[in-house]
Parts: sequence; structure tokens; C-alpha cells
Amino acid sequence: MHFLENLPLATKKFILDLVKGACGWLCTKLGIALPPWAMPLLLTLVSILVVIVAIIAVYMVMFALMSVAERKILARMQNRYGPNRAGWFGILQPVADGIKMLTKEDLVPRGADKIVHFLAPIAMVAPALMLPAIIPYGTGMVPVELSAGILYFFALGAGTELAVFMAGWSSNNKYSVMGAMRAIAQMISYELPLVMSAVIAALVAGTLSPTGIVEAQGGYSLGFIPNWFVFTPWGFVACLLFYIGALAESNRCPFDLPEGESELVAGHLTEYSGFKYAIFFMAEYVGMFAINGLLVTLFLGGYKAPCPFLEWIPSWCWFFAKLALLAFSMVWVRATLPRFRIDQMMQFAWKFMLPMSFAALIAAAVWYYAGRGPLAWGLSALIVGIPYLALGHFCFTRHHTADNRRYLYSE
Amino acid sequence: MMLQLLLAISAVLFCFGLLAALTRSNAIMVLIGIEMMLGAGNLNFIAFWKFSAHPELLTGVMFAIFSIALAAAEAAVGLAIIIQVHRRLRSVNINQADQLKG
Amino acid sequence: MHDLFQRLISLPWDQAPQWFFLFPALLMLLAAAAAVMLRNLIHCALCLTLSFIALGVLFIALGAEFVGFVQLLVYVGAVTMLILFAILLTPASEVAASNNPFRSFQLSKALNAVAGGAVAMLVLAGLLAAIFFSPHAQAAVNPAKAATAPAAAIGENLLNHTLLPLQGTAILLTAALIGAALLAKEDKRS
Repeated sequence: MHFLENLPLATKKFILDLVKGACGWLCTKLGIALPPWAMPLLLTLVSILVVIVAIIAVYMVMFALMSVAERKILARMQNRYGPNRAGWFGILQPVADGIKMLTKEDLVPRGADKIVHFLAPIAMVAPALMLPAIIPYGTGMVPVELSAGILYFFALGAGTELAVFMAGWSSNNKYSVMGAMRAIAQMISYELPLVMSAVIAALVAGTLSPTGIVEAQGGYSLGFIPNWFVFTPWGFVACLLFYIGALAESNRCPFDLPEGESELVAGHLTEYSGFKYAIFFMAEYVGMFAINGLLVTLFLGGYKAPCPFLEWIPSWCWFFAKLALLAFSMVWVRATLPRFRIDQMMQFAWKFMLPMSFAALIAAAVWYYAGRGPLAWGLSALIVGIPYLALGHFCFTRHHTADNRRYLYSE
Repeated sequence: MMLQLLLAISAVLFCFGLLAALTRSNAIMVLIGIEMMLGAGNLNFIAFWKFSAHPELLTGVMFAIFSIALAAAEAAVGLAIIIQVHRRLRSVNINQADQLKG
Repeated sequence: MHDLFQRLISLPWDQAPQWFFLFPALLMLLAAAAAVMLRNLIHCALCLTLSFIALGVLFIALGAEFVGFVQLLVYVGAVTMLILFAILLTPASEVAASNNPFRSFQLSKALNAVAGGAVAMLVLAGLLAAIFFSPHAQAAVNPAKAATAPAAAIGENLLNHTLLPLQGTAILLTAALIGAALLAKEDKRS
């Protein structure tokens, strides 16, 4: 099993050795004398390239699998078959989709701002593909080790809003602009609780580096409960807040108002077709996987095994298993919950999630300084429990709003 | 040499900001120019930090971080004022906001 | 051919990475120039965003990763979004434009541009002269050690040496938040 654990790193080392050998052979054959710094520089460049190719390949495969799995799971939950024409049980559906998208006509509206309309998909996909770089996939398997990795993630995530604005505005279409405005309002509102709950994990781990946060969740209490942050009162709350924020940031149900088909055609994507649409679609899924990967890293113990006797399974398998579980749960949520109304969505972000994330922050600080024992448990549970009940009672109970509700357009 | 190059780059950026603030009559463009000038100032802080005798003291970095935070506050208040002016005058042309002239 | 390749590969390429900062710097200046020159306000704001992204990358290239990420997060995520929203919320109304005395008077506009350009050029000349010809320019220290700013060191510095400014910034940001919300709120009385 040691072999499997080391398989990705060993593959990388093998490729590097291959390049080194080939280069040395070529140089002696041609009679070129390399300066002493040339080989390390070349090997650094090649190793960067290998990591980039690996990340893109893995995320593309996950995107393809997810696009067919989502439709199959949704179909199962809605009592229908789902895609079952292309290949065995519809497994070749992503290929068929890709061919269809590539051969479609690329439409650009006459009134559109052509340059911005062309640049918007690029501005969308570039940060999305850079997001997975800081996530630790296994022991020693983090593509870029940054001391401020969490900050990097959110700094790049800000680029998505810009791309959505560019897409919406340049299309010169009312539905596009409205969809883009909704999307930006939603992303900015939900970014606050998202960042706050990431701050909570960083606070307790004492570092902004994702690897450091995963290492802080190692070990077991009582011999079998893993020390993941999700198994503490504040961590449970922060994990749920982060999950909801991740749903909203990746525009998935029940937060898919920006592209709600029944209201806005397709929001900021209305005027996109063919391959540009496919690029938006891909960026959305890659972003969803990346943010779920961050959730796994921050609260679900990253690449750590859930029980001591399962540690023989390679660490990267655990990471991807947790990621797959989260992706499934997002499909499940999509099949279950109806779409929010816009005012409900904004109220939920500002009146419930933001205060709750502050409460969880205080609870985490109390837990940290009260010695992580039963007393700390009780105190922090109290600190997150009271605001939860109070907010639920005062902001979201029916009797509070039932009297002054007015149906503006149906009277 | 590198330090002087960086300072020259920042000087050019500053002057682009100055140009926008002086020649454009739209209040939002003036604000964009001011943001550019602040960015040039931050670049100076980082350049001087990198080539200082004691970079481990992080003086320039701290200054840049605070200046970014203040620039965000400045932009928020400035844009709120611009929106309010637009509500009153139906225009964001700074030549028209002359009610205090007497 | 063979000789040329040998000479090409013997160039000091290992010195190249420290000049990488020129790419984002050039991009930043080009985008800033476009932001100043373009007519369409949205294009100006988008070019400004590109300029700020390049500035953030420049910070990262100079070794100040943390500041670069903060720059991207604050400027790209917040400030330019505010500017874009403000542009959409303040459409140039036709009535106001026709009432504008400066619209018909083109000479004043041209004069304005020339004067502004002259002032900017003067300032630029002064700054460049100060940078390259001042006696202090030669005294600039060339550091032997690489300058790095790890996140942990910045956090320690924030809470040990600059705690009071940090608290002041927190109060200022809160005040700015409340003030901006109050200012932008629709005045119900009028």
C-alpha cells in the first residue's frame, strides 16, 4: 500500500528523471556544454508543467464524470432514466455533449461589445483553473505551497464576479444585465460569511497555509473520533455556513437565481452559445470542485483518514472520496430544494449567515482558550446555539412577516 | 538600478492618474485617477521595502496594507457621494456641481 | 546553427527571473493608459481593473505575496465592482448634457485637456529627474538578502507593532461603511 500512497509523486519523479536523461543524452550527442544552472532551471520548469497538466487532466475528468453523474442522479431522484443513449448507461454522454458544443455556431449579437464579449469566458475560466493550485491532495501533494494559501483562493475567487459582469454587460441584453447584477449581488453577499468561516479554521489552526490547517486536524480523540474541525460545535456551524456559501458562490440550486430559467432565460449566459457557453459551464464546475476541495481541507480533515484502522488507504484517495461525497450532496440539494426568492436570499445572507459566522468566530476563540475540554465544548455550543435560536425566532419566523405581506402585482 | 526602474514605473502610473483626475470631467473618472495614484504610492512602498537595508522589519509592507484598506474606504464613500450628487443634479459632471459658488 | 545555439544557451538565463517583474509592470502601464484615454466609462473601469490585477501580480513578483493577494481581493473584488455599479447607477442623462455650458464651448474643453496634460507632464519630468539625477539616487542600498514577507510575520507585526493603527483602521472602515450606506440611501423627505 506504500506503493499506492507514493504513486503520484513517483510518477512525477519518473517523468523528471526521463527528461533529465533525455536532455543529457541529447547534449552529449550534439556536443553542447550546458552551464551548471541550466539543468535545475529546466527541471523546475518541467515539474511546473507536469503539475499543471496533472491538475487540468484530473479536473477535466472530474468535470466529465460529474456532468453525466449529476444528470443520472437527478434522473434517479425524479423517477426517470436520464441519459442512456451514448455508450453503456450513458457513460459517453460528455463526449457527445462536447462534440455538440464544438460544432454549434458561435453567435455574437450585433449590439454586443465584441471585445468584452469575447474576453468574458477567458476571464471566467482563468481564475477557475488557478484555484485548485493550493489545495493539498495528499501527504506532500500540494501543487503550490503558499504561506497565505487561503487568501490566494479568495483573491482569485474575486475574479469570477468581474467575468460575470463582463459577460452580462457586453451582451447588451436586459436579461443578461439583470442576471449579472443578481449574480454579483449574491456573490458579494455570500463571500462575507464564506471568508469569515474560512477565517475561523485559520484562527484555530494558527496558519493561513492549507497544509498547515490539514495537519492541525490530524490525530484522534478518544482513540476513534478524528480531530476534524467539523466535529466541534463552532466547526460544525462554520462548516455548514461554508457549505451554503459554496453553493451560492458556484451559483448552484437553491441559489441559481442569476440564471433562473423561468425568470431570466439564462442570466448572463443568455447570449453565449457553442464553445463559449461550454467554457462558462466548465469554469462553474471547476470552481465548484475547487471550493468543495477547500471545504474538505478546512473542516473535513483534508487527506486524513476518518478512522485509525483505515489509514492503509492512500491519503489522496480519502481526499477525492470526501470531494465526491460533497459533490453528490450538492446534486442531492439541487434535486430537493426549490429556488430562493431574491429578497429571501439577501436576507438569509445578511441577517442570518453573517451574524452566525461572527458567533462561530467567538465560539472558536473561546474553545481555543478554554482548553478544548468538555467545558470548552459546552461554552462554545452555548455561544453558537443562542444566536441560532434568537435569529431563527426573530428573523425567520412566519408570524413576524405575515401581517404586512403585500402582493404587489397580483391584486 | 532596479529600484530606480520601479520608481520610474510608479511615477508614470502616478502621472496617468493625475492626467485622469485633471482632464476628465466625469466624477467617476476623477475617482479612478485617484485610485491609480494610490496604487502608484503602494508600489513605491513595496519597492522601497524590497531594497531597504532591513526588509525583515516589513515597514513598507505594513504601510501598503493599511493604505489598501484606507483606499477601499475612500472609494466607498466617494462613490456614495457621487451617487447622491447624481440624484440631485441628474449628472455626474463635476463642472455642474457648483452650488456653493454663491 | 550549432554555435548560435551554444551561445544562446550560455547567456545568463539564471539571472532572468529577477527581471520578470517587467511584464506585469508593462501591462499595468498599458492598461492605465487605456483607462485614461478610452471614452466609454465601462471600458475605462475594466482597464483600471486589468491595471490593478497587473499591479497585484507585480507585488507578488517583488516578493510581497500577501500584499499582492490583498490588492487583488480588495481592488478587483470590491473597489472596481463598486465603480462598475456606480457607473451603471449614474447614467448620463440627455437633459443634463444639453444644459451643460461646457459642452457647447469646445475651446474650454480643449484648454482643460492641454493644461491638465501639461501639469501631468511637468510632474512626471520632475519625478523622473528626482529619481535618476538626485544625489540620493546613488545611495540606494542593494540588499544582499532576499526580501520576503511571510503571512505569519505580517500578522505578528500587525498585532505587536501596529495594533493602534489597526484598531483605528477598523473604526474608520466601520464609519465609512455606515457613512456610505447613509449617503447613498434615498432621501425620503425631499
